[in-house]
Amino acid sequence: MEKNGLLKRQLSKQGMRQVFTVTCGLIALCIAFGIINPLFFSQRNISNLLRQIAPIILIGIAQSFVLITGNIDLSIGSVVGVSTMMSATLMTKGMNPWLAAFFTLLVSLLFGLVNGYLVAGFKLPPFIATLGTMTIGRGIAQIVNNNYNTGAINTIEKTAEAVDRFRNFFYYGKFLGIYNGVWIALAVFIVFNFILNRTKSGRYLYALGSNPEAARLSGVNVLKTTTIAYLVSAFCSYLVGITQCCSAGMGAMDAGNSYEMYGVAASVMGGVSTLGGTGKLIGTVVGACIWSVLQNGLQFANAPVAIRNIVIGIIIIVAVLLDIIVRNRKPKLADSKKQ
Amino acid sequence: MKKLLVVLLVLCLATVAFATGAKEDSGTKTWNVSLITMDSMDQHWVSCFEGAKDAAKELGVTVTFDSPDTKDDNKQIEKINNAVAAGKDGILLAANAQDAPVAALKEAQAAGVKIMYVDSPANFDTLRLFATDNREGGKKIGERLLQELKAQSVTSGKIGIIGVNKATESCNTREYGFRDAFEGQGYTLLETQYCDGDATRAKEIADNYIAQGCVAVYGSNEGSTVGAGNAAKEALAAGIKVIACGSDASDTNKQLIKDGALLCIMGQNPYQMGYKGVYAMVDLLNGKDLGGYQYVDTGVNVIELSNVAQF
Repeated sequence: MEKNGLLKRQLSKQGMRQVFTVTCGLIALCIAFGIINPLFFSQRNISNLLRQIAPIILIGIAQSFVLITGNIDLSIGSVVGVSTMMSATLMTKGMNPWLAAFFTLLVSLLFGLVNGYLVAGFKLPPFIATLGTMTIGRGIAQIVNNNYNTGAINTIEKTAEAVDRFRNFFYYGKFLGIYNGVWIALAVFIVFNFILNRTKSGRYLYALGSNPEAARLSGVNVLKTTTIAYLVSAFCSYLVGITQCCSAGMGAMDAGNSYEMYGVAASVMGGVSTLGGTGKLIGTVVGACIWSVLQNGLQFANAPVAIRNIVIGIIIIVAVLLDIIVRNRKPKLADSKKQ
Repeated sequence: MKKLLVVLLVLCLATVAFATGAKEDSGTKTWNVSLITMDSMDQHWVSCFEGAKDAAKELGVTVTFDSPDTKDDNKQIEKINNAVAAGKDGILLAANAQDAPVAALKEAQAAGVKIMYVDSPANFDTLRLFATDNREGGKKIGERLLQELKAQSVTSGKIGIIGVNKATESCNTREYGFRDAFEGQGYTLLETQYCDGDATRAKEIADNYIAQGCVAVYGSNEGSTVGAGNAAKEALAAGIKVIACGSDASDTNKQLIKDGALLCIMGQNPYQMGYKGVYAMVDLLNGKDLGGYQYVDTGVNVIELSNVAQF
């Protein structure tokens, strides 16, 4: 009994309650899809599915960091596009892929820097500031290769082998039987989860999101903290862009279109509040899993695409609604902890 | 803060530099033709514009490429309206959907702008259509795939289909042609999944199909075929038997044929669409009598390993 109470307290203290609820939902979904089509649980599909989840986790982490500070980043999808197009264009020009990835990283991080300064330095509403950088980013993605998608990135003899190794590193290769993309997402999760939960910067991010004024008065550097959040977002988006370039073997100008919203979906399903100050990255990971399991499972169920869209929309709403209902039904527990 | 201002200023200057660099010289008064395709990304449309540009050079007229950035009915309608507002004399249109642009086209015609179709027509009468017979093209790919499956003695099984989106008629027509070829052949053609032309999403869809045990995957446009090819390449390397095929002879797809990942693709002649389209448009603008409506088939090639070098 004592242990049970402790668990409950622990869950609510860490904002983990919704994580627990949606994890149950995720398991239920998986079981349902497995019953509809047993191949859902085939070894091939599991590794396949994990690889599909990986970029959504990265996008989710990107958006969660910014949401926790009480802001939003609409430029995520465009940074994915810039990253894909820029790295692919440089590679088709014969540049070593790692060097191309390095230059692309610098440009991608510039987006985070500009977003941070516009929001915290110039006090632009985050929705407007990142709407602007989103549009600029898409334009840059279109202009780097003169308004065309790139050709295949591995056709230049001098770098073909390096490009293939690069593609394996980010997408096609496996380590211990699991695709590299999954390991990359896991590593990013561990690092950023540590930063968020165990460092001063992490606490500042939460503080800023729960009460910006109080945070400022107690000495939190708002500009620096906000910029960190946007830099993390830009970095994760950059990684997804590189992965897309590796997966397709070419650069597409509309890569990453509306990914910022997938990021919001993964975050809120996992319990990150769009109002800032609450949420756990582990929740975002579960949210990303739900998103990808739906995409994958509904195809296995041979569902028409319209049905898929409707079901996904309903599940996003239900996931958040469920949390609100649960929260309202147990006011005592929440109150006794809060006040 | 000062540093940031400098950065912003540089960005602004760069934008201005880009903008002035992008402006084209209009020169003396000639016919101005606007080419509006479904999007400005696929190499298919790039080739179409190449053909149009070459014809324009020969005829001494101006052709501008006014396509929307992505396949989107509303964006395409805006491009039509903009072309009319900009005083273009003719529009060569590859309609994204049959009905969506009709109202805009009526207005364009009322404003005196001549209209012809390349690649895909809308439900609005014009004098010429320069296009691939998509149904026939899709069917040819289906028949080639069927032949290969039988050669590998695969006489039944599931086949996955990747489309662009529900509104893109030309690609959907190809898919119907592809399905025609398998009528009564004992294979199960699965529900079409849509990738919005995104090669990464298409790869995931193809992975899912292959994990379901599909014997073949078909893509109805460039992006979906790139995805199908990349998925098949990976599966084949892992020892899973699957055949991928699709549409559009882009560099990436041709490379995938050379890699042995794609069995065949439906190659069109977008260059001819643009080239012949501009010639016909200029004839019409010069007041030549073109007679009634005419459909000009620009032809289809089944491109595979044996002949890929020619394309």
